[in-house]
Amino acid sequence: MFSKLSRKKRGIASLLVLSLLLVTLCACGTKDSAGTDSQANTNATSEKQPETGTEEKQDGEQAQDTASTEAGPDISEEVTLVMYLIGDRPVDNDEVFAKINERLKAEINATIDVKFMSWSEYEQKYPLIFASGEDWDIIYTADWCFYNAQATKQGFYEITQEALETYAPMTAETMYEEAWEQAKVDGKVYMLPMNYKEITAYVYMARGDLMDKYNITSVSSLDEAEAYMDAIVKNEPSLIPIDVGSDYDKLFFYDRMWKKANWENNAAGNEIISEIGPWQVMASASEVDGNLTVMGDFDQETFYDVITRLKDWRDRGFWSKNAVVNTQNNTESFQAGKSALAMMNGNTAKSVYASVSAEHPEWDIRVFDAQDGVPPVLNSYLANGMSIFSKSKHPERALMALDYLRNDEEINSLFCYGIEGKHWEDAGEGLLVSLPDSANYAYDSNCNWGVRNDANWRMIEGGIPNLAELNSAWQESAESERFQTFVFNDESVKNEIAALGEIFNTDYKLLGLGFTDDLDADIEKLREKMEAAGAQKVYEEIQKQALAFLEAN
Amino acid sequence: MHNGKHPFLHDLHKNRTKWLMLLPAAIVVILMCYIPMAGIVLAFKEYNYHDGVFGSPWVGFENFQYFFKSGKAWLTTRNTILYNLAFLCVNTFLQIACAIMLSELAGKVFKRITQSAMFLPYFISWVVVGAFVYNLFNYEFGAVNAFLKGIGAEPIDVYSNKSAWPVILIVASAFKNVGYGTVMYLASIVNIDGEMFEAADLDGATMWQKIRYITLPSIRPTIVILFLLAIGTIMKGDFQMFWQVTGNNPMVLDVTDVIDTYVTRSLLTLQEFGMTSAAGLYQSGVSFVLVLIANYIVKKVEPDYALF
Repeated sequence: MFSKLSRKKRGIASLLVLSLLLVTLCACGTKDSAGTDSQANTNATSEKQPETGTEEKQDGEQAQDTASTEAGPDISEEVTLVMYLIGDRPVDNDEVFAKINERLKAEINATIDVKFMSWSEYEQKYPLIFASGEDWDIIYTADWCFYNAQATKQGFYEITQEALETYAPMTAETMYEEAWEQAKVDGKVYMLPMNYKEITAYVYMARGDLMDKYNITSVSSLDEAEAYMDAIVKNEPSLIPIDVGSDYDKLFFYDRMWKKANWENNAAGNEIISEIGPWQVMASASEVDGNLTVMGDFDQETFYDVITRLKDWRDRGFWSKNAVVNTQNNTESFQAGKSALAMMNGNTAKSVYASVSAEHPEWDIRVFDAQDGVPPVLNSYLANGMSIFSKSKHPERALMALDYLRNDEEINSLFCYGIEGKHWEDAGEGLLVSLPDSANYAYDSNCNWGVRNDANWRMIEGGIPNLAELNSAWQESAESERFQTFVFNDESVKNEIAALGEIFNTDYKLLGLGFTDDLDADIEKLREKMEAAGAQKVYEEIQKQALAFLEAN
Repeated sequence: MHNGKHPFLHDLHKNRTKWLMLLPAAIVVILMCYIPMAGIVLAFKEYNYHDGVFGSPWVGFENFQYFFKSGKAWLTTRNTILYNLAFLCVNTFLQIACAIMLSELAGKVFKRITQSAMFLPYFISWVVVGAFVYNLFNYEFGAVNAFLKGIGAEPIDVYSNKSAWPVILIVASAFKNVGYGTVMYLASIVNIDGEMFEAADLDGATMWQKIRYITLPSIRPTIVILFLLAIGTIMKGDFQMFWQVTGNNPMVLDVTDVIDTYVTRSLLTLQEFGMTSAAGLYQSGVSFVLVLIANYIVKKVEPDYALF
């Protein structure tokens, strides 16, 4: 009896063994099942394409529309295009897109279904949707938002000159020549860059009620920000001065201080320091008498001073002791009344200002220049753009849709500002007035930046009172970064960059928020780790390519 | 053999019902495990979307390099194994203890309610558990510090305190997994022949003696098999748990970083699928060796219960 039982048990056991082994082996298998899927998808697409070009079954209205472009592309099949944007879904997004879709349906027999990925997770999610085998068509992209990485991995559909002329004639006509050139990766274009000259300048947004309470008149430099935050931390125990630390703004203050230190250094001496290469390798280029050396930021003299100041600010409690695990960005915290100061891009400030001053007029919020003398960056056109997924089932239609999103005045305005008469009103002279409902679809903030078009562009009237003043100052001083259009080819140093990425996300992030108890030891530790990870090899490679870049330009 | 029939075909015919019963499981295993296994090749390739998994160019062992470059391979492997061992021991102990306790309880309604309440956390996602932890231990607004300030004590900064995290992680893991395992052990306790307990009662055994000499020996096979099964996943570290509960906190990485979190962090901005697969393959390789070792030990001690 016993032996029989145990044999049975052994039988069960051996079955378990089998399943156990499989579970173990599965671990590495499942990771790329998505990849296999998407491959299957391509096959399906390529088989499907020939079918779609044959029949004409249009109802009266559409036939009329297409009649005018008789030689144009075939749009007989009705398609729904999936478009990914970054951010949170505005309350009235669906209403706005219902209107856009009404027009698009009539013009090109297509509608757009918008999906969102939030700012807090886009770094993780963005690359994943390319590999997931999900069926989508259009996505927001930018030089800072995976454009090069996905383009070199063939994640985007190539937009040829012919395709542009055939499917996006309006864009072909209006596209800035430099923008088209800038968008080239290895000679091929994968993006429709915005048709808009943009400046990136940072602003502080502070609470007027608190400023008056503590006799602070201005928060427009690091020193003034320090005084303001000092007053808050001493007198307002329920508020964090500024709630930075999330993935999005973990290096905001570091950047401000670092840029200022370098700007002063460049203005004073004979050495020019500029940022270069991918963010996570933390490299800067130093030019003395025309000789270029690429080195780690931590080897620049100014680095030490910057971290010292950050440490001082952190020790005084200017941001949370738990800033490194923050998931909310500083603007969200400011809006929620948890913090007294916010720092943001001047372009986003307009909509934040509009919604916060509507929600909390008693705060009397005020906007100040955070550039602190440093010239704002004249963005490359690639700072915003739209791309088409390389496995889109309808790349041509997607291109046509983008053509309308960019150039059709009605559609473009809907996307950028919302519904006229509900969210905004025309104020003439390229200005608009935001209406109260704009809280549900704020001006220029639905990730519409990729289709911004100078031809249709409207500034907000009566928004930030000193905006015009700020703008003109920025326009005057704005300049392109020295290595703005330099694209680093990381092929030979991928392993090193992966190892450096880890250091960037941990040690560097901590220093960038001033989290260190022993500055010298921690900087030394950072240097050692970077060296062990092969930083020198990466810097040499960047230097080599940078020299070639300077020669070519 | 005889009648010219192949022995396998013969068996297939003779035990057709059993083979049929095996079929669904076999299909699932082949579809979900064996076919995707071909993707291992990705670890040796430089992946691009266009050429796909099989068309991308080969790069040999290059994808494995970054893992050893930053010197974290050993630290993360150690953390992964130690944490999982700790989870395994603590959870198994608590599960058995709870199962025995529940089985000794008299009130049926109370027993059911307790069982369900314990099972509930299993369904809570780690993201939510992470939010619990954050709201408990946040320095400025957390519940623990609010309480401490309330009674006039000094607030504590948990997020920069390395020694707190192993405890928090072990408690979080127990919170989520004990209920699930308890139900399994409870099922095996319920299956113990009631006559044995009656006999023990007649002989005047105390409750502790019954647990010691009847319950525990009877559920030993379950314990060993569940233990061995868990060894197989020991290298896998529950990614969600380590990422969400610690909030990916760089201050305490030395004690909370496991292979999965390390890989995610370093490849977050790079999107190198080949490198990710390489890390996955490394994990699977080590797990496989661990299973072999664990099984070897079991075979020495308890030959009847060894898996193979």
